[in-house]
Amino acid sequence: MSAIAQWFQDCLPVSPEVIREMTNEPVPNHMKRWWFALGGTPAYLFVIQIITGILLAFYYETSTGSAYASVRYITEEAAFGWYLRSVHKWAATLMIAAVVLHQMRVYFTGAYRKPREINWIIGMFLLLCTLTLGFTGYSLVFEQLSFWGATVGANMADSVPVIGGFVKNLMLAGETYNSRTLSRFFVLHAAVLPVALIGLLVVHIMIIRLQGVTEFKFKDEDESKPKTFSFFPDHMYTELMLGLFLMILLSALATIFPASMGPEADPLTTPEVIKPEWFFYVVFRWLKLFPGTFAILSTGFVVFIMFTWPFIDAQIRKRTRFQEASVWIGIVGVLAIIALTMWEALVAH
Amino acid sequence: MADDSSHDDGPVQGRRGFLGQASNFAMAAGLVGGYGAFGAVAARYLYPARPDTGSWQFVADLARLGVGDSLRYQAPGGETVNITRRARDGVAEDFIALSSTCPHLGCQVHWEDANQRYFCPCHNGVFDSAGVGTAGPPGDAGQTLPRYPLRVDGNLLFIRVPTARLVADAASSGRVIDDDCASAPGHDPCLSPLARPPRDGELG
Amino acid sequence: MTLETKRWIIGAMGGLFLVSLVLVQWLETTRRAEEAGLRPASVSAPASSVACVDCHAQANPGIVDHWEGSTHAEKGVGCVECHTAESVEPDAFEHYGQSIATIVTPRDCSRCHVEESAEFEASHHSKAGNILASLDNFLAETVEGSREDFNPHSPTPGRSFDMVNGLASAQSGCQQCHGAKVALQSTDGSLITVDELAPDENGVPTNQAILASIVKDANGRPMFDTGTWPNTGIGRLNLDGSAGSCTACHSRHDFSPRRARQPENCGQCHLGPDHPQKEIYEESKHGIAYRDLKDDMNLNATDWVLGADYSAAPTCATCHMSGNLRNGGKITHDPGERISWTNRPPVSVAMDTDINHAIVKTDDPDERRALTVDSWEDKRNRMKDVCSHCHSPDYVNSFYAQYDDFVVLYNEKFAKPGQAIMAVLADTGTRSPTQFDEEIEWTWFYLWHHEGRRARHGASMMAPDYAHWHGMYEVAERFYMELIPQAREMADHAGGAARTEINRVINDILSRPEHVWFEEGAAEQSARIREEMERRYGQGGERDGNNF
Repeated sequence: MSAIAQWFQDCLPVSPEVIREMTNEPVPNHMKRWWFALGGTPAYLFVIQIITGILLAFYYETSTGSAYASVRYITEEAAFGWYLRSVHKWAATLMIAAVVLHQMRVYFTGAYRKPREINWIIGMFLLLCTLTLGFTGYSLVFEQLSFWGATVGANMADSVPVIGGFVKNLMLAGETYNSRTLSRFFVLHAAVLPVALIGLLVVHIMIIRLQGVTEFKFKDEDESKPKTFSFFPDHMYTELMLGLFLMILLSALATIFPASMGPEADPLTTPEVIKPEWFFYVVFRWLKLFPGTFAILSTGFVVFIMFTWPFIDAQIRKRTRFQEASVWIGIVGVLAIIALTMWEALVAH
Repeated sequence: MADDSSHDDGPVQGRRGFLGQASNFAMAAGLVGGYGAFGAVAARYLYPARPDTGSWQFVADLARLGVGDSLRYQAPGGETVNITRRARDGVAEDFIALSSTCPHLGCQVHWEDANQRYFCPCHNGVFDSAGVGTAGPPGDAGQTLPRYPLRVDGNLLFIRVPTARLVADAASSGRVIDDDCASAPGHDPCLSPLARPPRDGELG
Repeated sequence: MTLETKRWIIGAMGGLFLVSLVLVQWLETTRRAEEAGLRPASVSAPASSVACVDCHAQANPGIVDHWEGSTHAEKGVGCVECHTAESVEPDAFEHYGQSIATIVTPRDCSRCHVEESAEFEASHHSKAGNILASLDNFLAETVEGSREDFNPHSPTPGRSFDMVNGLASAQSGCQQCHGAKVALQSTDGSLITVDELAPDENGVPTNQAILASIVKDANGRPMFDTGTWPNTGIGRLNLDGSAGSCTACHSRHDFSPRRARQPENCGQCHLGPDHPQKEIYEESKHGIAYRDLKDDMNLNATDWVLGADYSAAPTCATCHMSGNLRNGGKITHDPGERISWTNRPPVSVAMDTDINHAIVKTDDPDERRALTVDSWEDKRNRMKDVCSHCHSPDYVNSFYAQYDDFVVLYNEKFAKPGQAIMAVLADTGTRSPTQFDEEIEWTWFYLWHHEGRRARHGASMMAPDYAHWHGMYEVAERFYMELIPQAREMADHAGGAARTEINRVINDILSRPEHVWFEEGAAEQSARIREEMERRYGQGGERDGNNF
């Protein structure tokens, strides 16, 4: 045994003590509260997405002629294909929900404030990456909504002044949806965006580790007890439980609400009711409320405000007496998002 | 890992020995069982959904083949099958259906009329007209060309061949290839208008 | 929560995850089993017909392809369900363990389509095969062909024919639309038809003795007389005593209602010189709208109710057969239900029909009332229901006034007089009882059977060119320039009392106000035309014989 251990030691000159030291960072006590685990949830779901995504890619074909048929093969013919596809779809939904909740938690607890501005911005990039993954993902099924969603998305980009046409052409590989468009979405969905997401995630977590998790103090905590607990194994057990809970939840969702297939994309017929995935309902409703260019630019403006919020918030706190202004603005923002989403969800057109 | 101190670790010491071990075991079993099953699902998903056991395909009326006659049949997968009639009893045993796939490493053999043999270009395998390997690797190993099962129903001959196709939307049933003039979609090869090379200017 | 508790919980949740995957596995297995049960082969043929489909998909892929796209296939109606035949039926034979027949008759269809078959049976369509005694049949069998086969009079190089089938024109012409009397070959060289078999009400032949003399091929299949099968004429006289063929309109093997809804389908028979309904429809506003708006016709709809499923344009079926909002979507397979004039005979007749759906012929008003079960007005009102989906009542009523006027004009000015002249020629023995052996018989046939029908059909379906130039213009020319001169010539030729009688009839007709212009002239009107031409074109039209 020791000979083999020695051999490993020689080949990989890393001592177990160092690894333990590196990973076993003390975790603040507030992390025992479940809603603080929302950062780990999307990361775990992302791993599931990578695994199921790789499995789906084994059978998926990127040609507009056979994409729909290959998804149908996965759904109807391949063993457990329906299950893996449904898990992929539901994990995507949960991932976006978890990212949004995580961001709300960070926002309302003010965890983005100095010195964590950069990590907030990286978090915003992660949010955009996740949403774009969702968008490209449902384009790949090549059903009616995939096609028209992509077409509408591209034409939305087109209405941005100056660079719109350029962005649209870049997105569709042409003026309109064509035979080269789908492989673009596939490469974005299966290679570019996941790699970007992993890179951003690494930086995101590294910065957390460098700065330490924001510590919160709750009134009911016993002052005499230590302020932290160890990551390993205690917090890891928590994460394992969370992971298994997600797996069970996903299996249940996949069996009760399996991913279905709409009619195949038909460039000649726009469906009567066309709706994007639920996480784009906000933008979709906004676009219906206001004329094109204004709607696009105002959406862009809101995203810009979100990116720079740590600095804006700092200025507000510095220059005015409204120290908790961010909470109220946040509540208004969240209510607006919920209202627009519900509105879009409840009406047919 | 059990001895990692934790601030709220406070079970009764006496229980800890046995139950602690048991909980370790339960956790390991749960993780292996759950994720292992997921792994098994993934593995099953990657394996072909259902084996291609082939299907019975119509070949021809029995009357089409006299004793000693043979015809070539193209299976849905594109493989050529040589079907020869040896007797006139009206049963499946009258016929043999030779696959054109070499038993050595799966290349396609072709019939050489001049040498009265099947020849495999990959490793110079040679088979006689009954499909028995006579030279090359199949001859050395005593292999023969595979035979497909045949069935006679009434006065019709059926063959069981694999139906998997290389191109997903190709035709789904096999067909008999006309020996003299292979009939295929498109132009009739029997009517080749330019048997001689075109003269200058003839094709513009 | 202690670490140990957490470990227990993780273990339990791992187990639960495992259980959930076992459930997934169970679902997967159930799904596979269901799939295997539902789809034994690549074709979802009903179990009874799997073997048929297996073989025929390769032998006759067209049949199977058509059937696979049909509603029958969707609902699990396979080959055997329709082709099944009991062994007592004369054309039944054993085919790989099933007793089947080649021809599927309305009786077979009526096993499921009860109402449709009953309506069809009552229709004039189903009686189209009863043309044996008609002029048309005489034309094809005798004038165009020969009742008896005869020897060729010189060889055909490259082919050898020892006999000419004199009925070929009737078989390829008349009977493909009207329907053949399906016949089996008998060992004594004669033919076995429904007449010989005398089937009972279940279609089973009462003359069982004759079954032994049916000629069978090597596989035991009864052999049809090639002149009578293939045939999908709408009034086919089938061996089981049923009349007609559903595939005349619902062509096999997809039996598409979509196809039956389109005018091209009716146009397979309703076209040509004697009843150009298809061409008339194409000239009409209805046909033009249809050609333009075909994409909006919703032809795939299940019920295809006018006003609910579509209203872009009417096809033949829309007006004559299909359901509409006002009649509660009721479809009829008897197109006569909405036709108020029959323009088929030389003189148009009002469509009062009796209990047997036959036209009431008597003149006596009381008797008519007593016999009539469904009057021409009932029929017209049904058609008006259709019209009123797009037209206001005034418009519809005024159209019918125009149509009635036209039919009555034709009847009174040309048809009845023509009939009278032909009658007197026959009564006086001037014209032989044999049809088509005298020029005037061709003239009269052209007048009512071709030109007269064209005119009336043109007026009935809003095609002015057919009403006038292809219609009444030619009727008039035929009447004045051929029928009258030929009749007078025959009278001269006959001489004596016959001559006097014939001329009396002709003169009676020509002295009526509507004909008086022909022999006494209409100088006043000619002058008016000349003046008008002068005014419009600066020259008198009539002088150079080019009025318009």
